[in-house]
Amino acid sequence: MSAPAPPSAPTAGQSPTTGPGPVTTLRTPVVGDGTTASSRARSRWRRARWPVLVVVALLVLAGLSAIARPATSSTPLAPDNPEPPGARALAEVLGDRGVDVVYVQTVADAVAAAEADEPTTLLVAQGDYLLPEQEDALVGTGADLALVAPSDHLLDLATDGAAQLSYSWGSSETARPAGCDDPAAQAAQEIRSDGVGFEATGTGDVTLCFAAADDPDVAAYLAHEGDGRTVRALDTSTILRNDSIADDGGAALALWTLGANERLVWLVADPFDMSLSGEGEEDGVVAASLPPWAGVAALQLLVVAVVLALWRGRRLGPLVTEHLPVVVRASETTRGRGRLYRRAGARGHAAAGLRAATADRVASRLGLPRSAEATTLVDAVSRATGRPVEQVTHVLYGPPPADDASLLELARLLDQIESEVHHS
Amino acid sequence: MALTWRAVVLAALGIVPVLLWPVPGTVLVWALVVVAVCALDVALAASPRRVAVERRVAAAVRLSERTSSRLTLTNVAPRRLRALVRDAWSPSAGTVSNRHTVDLPPGEATRVTTVLVPTRRGDRVADKVTIRSFGPLRVAARQASLDVPGHLRVLPEFRSRRHLPSRLARLREMDGRSAVQVRGEGTEFDSLREYVIGDDVRSIDWRASARRHDMVVRTWRPERDRRVLIVVDTSRTSAARLGDEPRLDASIEAALLLSALAGRAGDRVELIAYDRTVRSRVAGAAGPRLMPAMADALAPLEPALLETDWSGLVTAVHERLSQRALVVLLSTLDAAAIETGLLPVVGQLTSTHQVVLAGAGDPEVSALRSDRSGTAEVYDAAAAARGEIERVAVTTVLRRHGVEIVDGLPDELAPRLADTYLALKAAGRL
Repeated sequence: MSAPAPPSAPTAGQSPTTGPGPVTTLRTPVVGDGTTASSRARSRWRRARWPVLVVVALLVLAGLSAIARPATSSTPLAPDNPEPPGARALAEVLGDRGVDVVYVQTVADAVAAAEADEPTTLLVAQGDYLLPEQEDALVGTGADLALVAPSDHLLDLATDGAAQLSYSWGSSETARPAGCDDPAAQAAQEIRSDGVGFEATGTGDVTLCFAAADDPDVAAYLAHEGDGRTVRALDTSTILRNDSIADDGGAALALWTLGANERLVWLVADPFDMSLSGEGEEDGVVAASLPPWAGVAALQLLVVAVVLALWRGRRLGPLVTEHLPVVVRASETTRGRGRLYRRAGARGHAAAGLRAATADRVASRLGLPRSAEATTLVDAVSRATGRPVEQVTHVLYGPPPADDASLLELARLLDQIESEVHHS
Repeated sequence: MALTWRAVVLAALGIVPVLLWPVPGTVLVWALVVVAVCALDVALAASPRRVAVERRVAAAVRLSERTSSRLTLTNVAPRRLRALVRDAWSPSAGTVSNRHTVDLPPGEATRVTTVLVPTRRGDRVADKVTIRSFGPLRVAARQASLDVPGHLRVLPEFRSRRHLPSRLARLREMDGRSAVQVRGEGTEFDSLREYVIGDDVRSIDWRASARRHDMVVRTWRPERDRRVLIVVDTSRTSAARLGDEPRLDASIEAALLLSALAGRAGDRVELIAYDRTVRSRVAGAAGPRLMPAMADALAPLEPALLETDWSGLVTAVHERLSQRALVVLLSTLDAAAIETGLLPVVGQLTSTHQVVLAGAGDPEVSALRSDRSGTAEVYDAAAAARGEIERVAVTTVLRRHGVEIVDGLPDELAPRLADTYLALKAAGRL
């Protein structure tokens, strides 16, 4: 302290780090935090039990829902769909008759299932979204094919170009007689079709049945023998559907077509199935180009990441909080008032405030009382600044400014007068 | 339980066996190895709960001065303690570095020092002491956070003490001055001395001059043993920010300078901090005990978001004072707050006491008032001018009641209040 020994704060005169100074000392040292291993275990369990219970409950629920997953679906033409668009009736009957129905949803699974040793029929029930590569893979399996409403490309592949779609929507309502010697068609006798129809291209051997009434070249069903397998195609899915399989000879045709072999691979391809397509193969290429230990090494890196997270995640003691004072700027009210003036366009108010404040300061500078008359003040200011009385009167007591620019001008004039008075 | 970077390295070393035997089982086995090593290390670590911790910390420190919190750690476990110790304090205690590495054989003790540079006035409470005790492999550690109570009072900075020497010099000048313009009720007869040219002839003591052969004048000294009551308003108006600090801090600076000055001048200084109840008080402290008591009483004050109970305040003042005294109100000069608060009750104070009302103004508002850079700024300037007019009007009313008004920016308030005090003292109006 440089002052002549003014009394000051208790530790002001002495440095607290060196001087003895008053200190708070905890007389008895603290040992431990009053917990034991068992009490810590108990409190940890108390803290963790609800999250643990929730996680366990979720796991149990997930397990139960996996076990109790409904054996039915709502996929059209799926063998486990009992709804009208499904085909569970047909699949059940086939199963009863000893046909082993394998339901698959990806092309890769279908190809894998169809490449079995025993004779197999591969049903492509939903072929609209198949990619060309996938169709190639399906046709390449060598199993008997049953195509339902196939695409042009698939039909072309399966029949070696012997048939094509005719895109004729003709007499869907009339029952069509078989009109051929295919045993399946003979058994069915007659069906109705709302499909686009097949027609022969003339380049191969193909049996066309259920010709349309108005165009004998357009058939609803075709059979094709080639490469040691039978390809059958239907241009409509109605004869598989639960709601319409019993119409006319649909059931017979379906059972004949699909029940030809002991094993039936039933493909209802998922629209988002990319297996065996170009992209999938590229993934396979990338996977194949990685060394075989890559997966295991990645697993080890995952373990390292977990340890890293545990290392960085443990804080050295809890965070310390502090109550901080409120921050209220004292100028907020003034600014708010200024903004109100501006929004309301209260130029008269603003000008009056500026004028009054200036008059107040100028009056006290000139030694006039606060209660001085306006004329007295104007005379005094006029004498002090050398400005004409009219101008001073106009500036200090004139009409309110008409616009913002003149308000600004007035403010500057007031400043000038004030500084002139101060320098006079 | 905590891990170290060595545990991460150990886990990463597992990549070698994984490359030699690339099967998932290797990963599992290595993970079990890591777990086992960590468990072993934890099992061999000294218990962080078997460390005796003692804390020594200065009771009080002035704001922005350095102090330290000293922990004495004694290892009472039979194992060697290798630990990282964190001495946690709240952020505004300003710990420079609060982590310490400790290596203690059984039964030995060591001391670690955490330097504190407080950044805010008030009471700072020590938080927990966390001990992370590593095992011999330093792969894993046990950790415990202990409550070791500690408490540091951060006193106001008292920046305004640099104004004190000049004010004390003025006080000494007043002492022994012969020609007192106003020989009022308050000035006291001090001594007789020889007449020198320039002395007021009215102060010649004719009787004493007759006894001697020289002309003798009476000298006077400023009145002593007057009572000064400083009232610090801690209500919502004290929470407003002026620059970087709340208005309360400017009030505290002014209160400290005034009490230092009045204490030296021989007056009896008392203090109360009030909003709706008495928050803090100093009474009966004199001489060297005055300023420590003042700093201690003012240090923990915080603005309360309440409206001041002015009639309660007047009652509290009357309870403390039976005779005439100087009552210094450190509050605000905000027109609205005064009109609804102080004005209705000010007569009860001024009837018996000399009242001074001091309030710090906002430097930002002064800047707004003279800003002419644009239309929006002129409207703000007009608002500031209006505020000033209202303040002038209300202070004029207060002056009419006999209240002295001290106005100033936060830095100017303390010296101006001291000057007002000296002027009142010179005029014998205490």
